[in-house]
Amino acid sequence: MTTLVTGRSLGLWVCTRCRATVRSIGPESSRCPRCRAPLHARKPHSIGTTAALAITAALLYIPANLLPVMHTKTFFTDEDDTIMSGVISLAHQGSWPIAVLVFFASIVVPLLKLVGLGEILYAVLRKSVRYTKQRSRLFRIVEFIGRWSMLDVFAVSILVTLVQIQSLATIQVRPGALAFAAVVVLTMLAAQSFDERLLWDTHSDG
Amino acid sequence: MIVCHACDLAHRFDRIAASARVRCVRCRAELYRTNAANIDSAIALAATALVLFVIANAYPLIALKVNGATRVVTLTGAALGLYDQGYATVAVLVVFTAVLVPLVQILSFLYMLVALRAKRRAPGLKLLFRTLGALRPWGMAEVFILASLVAMVKLSADAEVAPRIALAAYGLLMFTLTALTSIAPVEQFWQWVGGARE
Repeated sequence: MTTLVTGRSLGLWVCTRCRATVRSIGPESSRCPRCRAPLHARKPHSIGTTAALAITAALLYIPANLLPVMHTKTFFTDEDDTIMSGVISLAHQGSWPIAVLVFFASIVVPLLKLVGLGEILYAVLRKSVRYTKQRSRLFRIVEFIGRWSMLDVFAVSILVTLVQIQSLATIQVRPGALAFAAVVVLTMLAAQSFDERLLWDTHSDG
Repeated sequence: MIVCHACDLAHRFDRIAASARVRCVRCRAELYRTNAANIDSAIALAATALVLFVIANAYPLIALKVNGATRVVTLTGAALGLYDQGYATVAVLVVFTAVLVPLVQILSFLYMLVALRAKRRAPGLKLLFRTLGALRPWGMAEVFILASLVAMVKLSADAEVAPRIALAAYGLLMFTLTALTSIAPVEQFWQWVGGARE
């Protein structure tokens, strides 16, 4: 088996912005000679920051799903809509592909992000050396799909602006939308503050 | 030597082709990508994106017809609707991700690329590069497009809705922005910078 050599063991750092490989000049941080971004061997306080953001997001995930995100008022209806009831009414309406899309983007994706980040953090904390490749793939999926949860926030913003026909039909925003938007932002920040290299560092401790 | 940004594995390269895509042997992260692209094509894409952005903002996205009256929504109008109802935070998030980030991306690319084409490094180039890197995950044009379709489907059950010109422009903008970022990958960009003087 070929020996794998890490940048750390060679005294080489990678710039997180421009990905230039740089010879480290000391233990303390400096700046990238190519793009001037701050350089660190690893992102500072990565585990704590990611955990704090993910836990906050997990707590907000509850009101984001239980509270209504919008309120529809017409001649025939006067009702609150949560994320889930919005999905159900799309399905009733017969728009199955759209219902499935919203279900994934708004309910599955945030949950996958939270569970995924939790699993990854737990693996780093107990210095797991198994399934690292799978975890790094999971992390990249979490990073990539994060943005798609904004779908419902955008949809609500369009609906509340468009449907403002006094005496006929109005749609109002409800607090669930705020909680939901916060979940999206916090999980994105959590993924960004995580340093993927922590998953691999256990492999080269010897 | 190239060290993988995702798993810290060191790779030794003697020479890399002008148009290459290299992945980490351990974690498969992309280490390096250049495409020998023409800087003119990148500028053309950025200019196209700017025109599309103006159209996408100047005209209505979606129209709703009720009882003979028509209501339309524009891109920034969608955020103003949230603001009017007391949800300023969410409104700011919508403007930032759907309008502001794409605009900053287009303008910074144009500014840096036009200078690089003349073999000059634009003042503030490094700062702009870092800003673009930080903003990249926050540009959500493609999510907004899909959300517009979701909103239209929701309304189509009870009302007459129709897409308008800005929706088409914004959809094309989404593709142009994607093409722009893939034609000027990070390594390619720094090669252009390397060939320009301070």
